[in-house]
Amino acid sequence: MRAEEAELSERLVRIYENVLLTEEQALSKGYFSDLSNVEMHTLDAIGPYEARTMTETANDLGVTTGTLTVAIDRLVKKGYVVRKRDESDRRIVRISLTKNGKLACRIHSKFHTVLAKRILEPYSPEEQKQLIKMVSEIDEYIASQLKRYSGSDSIRKTAKNVAMEGRRREENG
Amino acid sequence: MDDNADPRERMNDDAILDESKMKDLILDDLIKMLTDMLEISPTDIRPDTRIFDELDLDSLQLYELVVDLEEVYSIRMPDEDLDNVSTVNDVVDLVFRLSTQSEK
Repeated sequence: MRAEEAELSERLVRIYENVLLTEEQALSKGYFSDLSNVEMHTLDAIGPYEARTMTETANDLGVTTGTLTVAIDRLVKKGYVVRKRDESDRRIVRISLTKNGKLACRIHSKFHTVLAKRILEPYSPEEQKQLIKMVSEIDEYIASQLKRYSGSDSIRKTAKNVAMEGRRREENG
Repeated sequence: MDDNADPRERMNDDAILDESKMKDLILDDLIKMLTDMLEISPTDIRPDTRIFDELDLDSLQLYELVVDLEEVYSIRMPDEDLDNVSTVNDVVDLVFRLSTQSEK
């Protein structure tokens, strides 16, 4: 079992690194070489269709609106994003993609579908179903692990509980 | 009940007429977009022209076309549909189908 564990863990790390690396290479050699991978995913989060609010987009990306503001400033300057005030509520600023932004977004999502298509191609429909099922389970397992750590509030709460528990035990003991 | 047959038939004719008229308009738009983008003559484009093999459209140009068509016709053209497109007419049919869907 040891060898299998080592192999799987090595493969997982390598897949993660190589997907990122391939994306970066594809970006830097492609039409949108002035976009970083993070910027590309910001465009992806805004999406090619409806204008979105900063809060929505920041939530989707898991960043603060402050961080997003800096990123959007840069993307506006590079001509991929436009800011517009909401017609019905002038306090709300909506962000949407320019034509170039839409193009980058579409081509990037194509990159992902082509990658997935190539991976699935050699397998029979039955095997494909099996593969997707297993990969989904891996995904869900890792997501559940992440949940234990995400949200600094819950960590802080846990840490506080542990500390209080310890103190109580000291007092009682 | 006989008097119902007439208007129903006429409506059908109208629908067919509308469909071919609309497809002609889409074709005109598409030809204009392609000639602007590829700097070719409109006479180089027929409905059965294969956009990738004959016009040499690359993926960036395809998406430029898609983004323009989406904006003009207020539609969304998903990649799954684009995978099945090979001729100019396929694009026209797709735009027609998507734009009549979105009206419903």
